[in-house]
Amino acid sequence: MSDALVSPTVAAVAGAASLVLLGTAIRKLRPTETQPGDERIVPLMGVMGAFVFAAQMINFAIPGTGSSGHLIGGILLAAILGPWSGVLTLSSVLLLQCLLFADGGLLALGCNILNMAVLSCLVAYPLIFQPLMRAEASPVRIFTASILAATAGLGLGALAVTAETEASGITALPFGRFLLFMLPIHLAIGLCEGAATGAVLCAVRRYRPELLVDIRRQGTAGKHRTNRALAVIALAALLIGSSFSWLASSQPDGLEWSIERLTGMAEIETPDNTAHRTAATLQETTAALPDYNTSLAGLVGCGAILLVAWGGSRLLRTGHRDG
Amino acid sequence: MRNRLQHALCELDALERNARAESPLHRLDARAKLLVTAVFLATMLSIPLSRLSEILLYALYPILTASACGMRLGTLLRRSLVVIPFVALIGVFNLFYDRIPVFRIGPLTITDGWIAFLSIVLRGVLSVGALLVLIGSTGFFEICRAMQRLGVPRFFTVQLLFVYRYLYVLIDEAIRMSQAREARSFDRRSLPLAVWGTVIGQLLIRTLDRAEQIHRAMLARGFTGRIPDYGAHRTHWRREETVYLLAWSAALLLARAIGPVETLTHLLR
Repeated sequence: MSDALVSPTVAAVAGAASLVLLGTAIRKLRPTETQPGDERIVPLMGVMGAFVFAAQMINFAIPGTGSSGHLIGGILLAAILGPWSGVLTLSSVLLLQCLLFADGGLLALGCNILNMAVLSCLVAYPLIFQPLMRAEASPVRIFTASILAATAGLGLGALAVTAETEASGITALPFGRFLLFMLPIHLAIGLCEGAATGAVLCAVRRYRPELLVDIRRQGTAGKHRTNRALAVIALAALLIGSSFSWLASSQPDGLEWSIERLTGMAEIETPDNTAHRTAATLQETTAALPDYNTSLAGLVGCGAILLVAWGGSRLLRTGHRDG
Repeated sequence: MRNRLQHALCELDALERNARAESPLHRLDARAKLLVTAVFLATMLSIPLSRLSEILLYALYPILTASACGMRLGTLLRRSLVVIPFVALIGVFNLFYDRIPVFRIGPLTITDGWIAFLSIVLRGVLSVGALLVLIGSTGFFEICRAMQRLGVPRFFTVQLLFVYRYLYVLIDEAIRMSQAREARSFDRRSLPLAVWGTVIGQLLIRTLDRAEQIHRAMLARGFTGRIPDYGAHRTHWRREETVYLLAWSAALLLARAIGPVETLTHLLR
């Protein structure tokens, strides 16, 4: 998700939602007077974030395609650190990526945290990965759990990206078709991500099995129930919202069609529709002509201003260097 | 892939060097720059896609700030273009769905879709440009500190700073590991999944061990769990910061509210 694809309203809503979730994560993890907690968690999270960054730069071969993929790390972080620390760490990785490597955006950060960190660490991980894992899991089980969880996480992410882009009014593509374009790509990425997560977890299981056992115990203790309730609510909201939009746009004139079906008042709907259409064409013919010049002139004028600014700053720069 | 790691390391280095340069913009408090960037993004991204010329006017912000901090505009533009492939992939559908012609330049008919597409790409380039100027004139450490001073919990800022600091350490470690692996394999570009899993798993285990050592070393040096709020480069909120923040916010909001380009063309006609 990039800044260019969100409107400030959507960014604000997503930002507020992820702020609440991050705040909850911090409250749960911060050591307090009454409950000392684990002081090592902050450096551990920091180093794990850097690890995900470094691991993302080492590619693996995707069998049978000749291309290569890299890790995203949501499920892996949740499995090693626990879901709440995982969300925080992945969020800081996303923030770093947007500031240092111009990947994503500052305003779209809330969306990105929701799409990537929250959906995989707080939804896919507790709902799919944790129930499937056992204390003495076999490699097959680890692989199955990671692939299912990662695919679900990325599928949900694709759904969220689609919904956010549509809600921002950026793309003219109808929701259903846009989703059909996004979903297969992300499911394929999810398969690779799951396989990669499984491979790393298997290696960890071979060399340091106690790491995984530890995590298992930490994850199931206490806070599990609210966590799950929250995840279920989020998932339900997403599914309901998306299935309704799907219904609404599965026909060329989606929304009107479904309203027509629902109310059964096609006769009343149609004249209104044609009237609206003639009005629209009328408006087009009258308003479009004068608008030509405005837009073109505006573009040319702006271009000129920018050229002057660019040139001026170049002059200033060279002057600065001489002086 | 070692190249990719080394490339990332070089890029981080370039950023740090930029951030340590001297300019009026560098001397400003990071909080002011952070806030102005947020205002810029919010106003610029709220412009409807059909108003391409208004969005174009907002390019003044990255151009002016970049020249104020001595950044080369060519470099800035080149680095801002990174965002185009992904944004264009999403925006390209507008070309097929919005076919209402808007105006003609000679034989070329510009449709609504083209305007929307160009607006999307321009939004992408401008937002990345503004972020590059922010980080290039401030540096990551100062941004973390500014976030802490703006009220972001230290639990998050300290952790964020850790990620940045240990990025160097872990990229180094990863370079060493992939170098050792490349020396033993005949120049394969990417690893088969099983080998990759082992390599990354090893990196993970080394990472966890290292986190333990790092934490002890930091405690031994008096780490209190927050980014120190003192030091040689600590900046204060002076009158300059207020002026910078108010002037830019006013300009950006005003440009958003009245749409100077369209108003002017209307007036001229």
